[in-house]
Amino acid sequence: MTKFALRALPVALLSLTASLAWADEIPNNTVRIGEYWVFYHTSGSALSGPFIPPGEDLTVTVKNVQTPYLAYLRRLSTHFTAELAFGIPPLTKTYGKGPATLAGTVPYNGQELSSARWFAPTLSLLYMFFDESYALRPYIGAGVNYTAFFNRNSTPAGDAAAGGPTRVELPSSVGPSGTIGLSYRLPHNWSLSASYSITRVITHSTAITAGVVRSSDVSFGPQAFVAAVGYSF
Amino acid sequence: MSKLRHLSAAIAAAVLTACGSDSTTSTVASSTTHGTLVENPPFRTASLNAASFAAQLSANTTGAQLLQITGTPTCGVDFYYIKFWTVGGAGESTESSGALMVPTGAAPTCSGPRPIVLYGHGTWVDQTGNMADIVNYAATNDENLMVAATFAAQGYIVVAPNFAGYDISTLGYHPYFNAAQQAGEMIDTLAAARTALPNTMSSATSDSGKLFITGDSAGSNAAMATQRALEAAGQAVTAAAPSSGAYALEAFGDAIFFGSVIYGSPEFAPLVTTSFQRAYGNIYSATTDIYSATYATGIATLLPSATPIDTLIANGALPASALFDSTTPTVTIPGNAILSAELTAALAVPSNPANPDTPLFEAGFGNPYLINNSYRVSYALDAASNPDGAVPTPTAGVPLAAVAPTQTLRLALYKNDMRYGDWAPNSPTLLCGGDQDPEVFFSVNTGTMAAFWSGLPAGLITVLDVSATPAGPFAPIQTAFQQAGAAQLAFYMSAAGGSLTLAQAEALLVGSYHRGVEPFCALAARNFFSQF
Repeated sequence: MTKFALRALPVALLSLTASLAWADEIPNNTVRIGEYWVFYHTSGSALSGPFIPPGEDLTVTVKNVQTPYLAYLRRLSTHFTAELAFGIPPLTKTYGKGPATLAGTVPYNGQELSSARWFAPTLSLLYMFFDESYALRPYIGAGVNYTAFFNRNSTPAGDAAAGGPTRVELPSSVGPSGTIGLSYRLPHNWSLSASYSITRVITHSTAITAGVVRSSDVSFGPQAFVAAVGYSF
Repeated sequence: MSKLRHLSAAIAAAVLTACGSDSTTSTVASSTTHGTLVENPPFRTASLNAASFAAQLSANTTGAQLLQITGTPTCGVDFYYIKFWTVGGAGESTESSGALMVPTGAAPTCSGPRPIVLYGHGTWVDQTGNMADIVNYAATNDENLMVAATFAAQGYIVVAPNFAGYDISTLGYHPYFNAAQQAGEMIDTLAAARTALPNTMSSATSDSGKLFITGDSAGSNAAMATQRALEAAGQAVTAAAPSSGAYALEAFGDAIFFGSVIYGSPEFAPLVTTSFQRAYGNIYSATTDIYSATYATGIATLLPSATPIDTLIANGALPASALFDSTTPTVTIPGNAILSAELTAALAVPSNPANPDTPLFEAGFGNPYLINNSYRVSYALDAASNPDGAVPTPTAGVPLAAVAPTQTLRLALYKNDMRYGDWAPNSPTLLCGGDQDPEVFFSVNTGTMAAFWSGLPAGLITVLDVSATPAGPFAPIQTAFQQAGAAQLAFYMSAAGGSLTLAQAEALLVGSYHRGVEPFCALAARNFFSQF
């Protein structure tokens, strides 16, 4: 027996066990609750606007976050399910990336400049492999993400780097999202799931400090791992 | 379904819990009353500690020379960009901008209650000049660095308007030498800065209540007019130290129109005539009344400009130096052949070989030229009818300022002359400058004011000529200025400086004299202020 077959055996046994317990009636609704681990891959244009020293490439990075995951899934057919998923809006922190100091002796690189909460629901169409008789079903999905930013705050370090109290504007983003995952059915309508998704979130960030407006295009490139438990009804 | 409802409620509660408010930026004033700070707190353009400021200055030749004059910074400096409401030369409500430079640091002279230096900048032809921008400092002729190094880095809070017509101002012209406007704007800047100061990121530094007023060149008129306005309003001025200023405007105008053409005059003329035309509306009906057809079109809105002055000259918008026609006008005064002949002779191209300034004055004549002969004659006739007591030489027994000129430009100069209204300062005043100044004649301006105020109590007015034989408390500054000039001359004559002849090197020095005086007079002002 190959190593692959040895590894696949326990999974197949679990799947068979669960499928035997599955009732005749297939629930159409599922809610999931779990945890998001979001990994940002930030890129973007350098900050532009008045009072930026020539030749300085001022960008930002975003610290990875973890937040509760919530989703509602609606079974459409044997193989297709719609999923509306989002996380409890995480507080996402932005850090300066560039010169050690700015505008003289104001610390910049590595400083926590701002924070914002993200409300980022994603509506996806999932293709479920196998049929309902299988407890373990891998799936892939594609959808659209809407991200709205709120609680947009400049920190004291951000204010110092920007030159004063700063209002941060981050317009909402709409972008595609792709996901790959596994769901495993448990007895009594419960299930476990895990997935990994990639989403495009691009916004035009604007910092307004005492009438001085500076901006940049930022692509956050979030990738998220989710582990959740579900209940179907 | 009940479970779903509970879950939905939990989700909604979680989202709502996360809701809060966004951070805000400065408050924008709703009032447009003059002196109102627009954004509070203001924008900080830079923050340097003493060491980094010294390093930044040392990084280029100009800054390194400045450091030698002003001394090593003892304080850091926070630069704030303030915007405020003021009034233009014709009473227009307009937004303007400037700099608030705040000393910072642990030294006792760098924080806590500190005196304010209110500074008026000299003539800028660059419309983009901004005293708060230490990156693009060249647009200010390096004045912002000079002021920061001389005053702010030594513990003085500096307040310096850019003036209406520059930077963000949409006024469309600069109220150049408009004493009432310039004083008003200086005071508006001070009011805005005082509003801003407690709310800045440098709030450990506060206003001690001491107010010193200074400025350079055209900014010296603004400074002196401000001193006059504040004293008239009963507000305390601790001391003032304008430098290289054109205070005796009418006498200065007379000297120029009678042939003592100053260095750089084609740049100054449009600024003056546009300012007074906007203020009084009677300087000309059409620009061709004053200006030759070669340059009249568009000259009323030419300066200040975002286009470099050299480009404007190269494009034919202005002559390089020819203010007047090299063809001498013939003055005809009916029934007075003698005066006609005297005036005609007085308007001839200067040619006295014994006068070392003759080459400078000659350069002010040519063809094409800026100002028409007919306009020059109208000015000269008024000067002959209503002579200024200070030119060509101060006349004993004659009031120093003219009585009621009638020629409109001359009348405008008269109204904005610091002798107008017989004003004299109440607070100690240092008048600094250089006697060899080819742009703002020292004797005609500083000398005239010193004579005008010669009857004031001893010690109230101090005159410093940095080109004079070193003597008195300012001798080290005079010596340093003269040594710097000698060093510059030697440099021009060295291989590195181009191996110029003495005459060529001296001619180059003429062009840099006026600005060369500036940091030495600023240092003298600081030393003067330190007594109070």
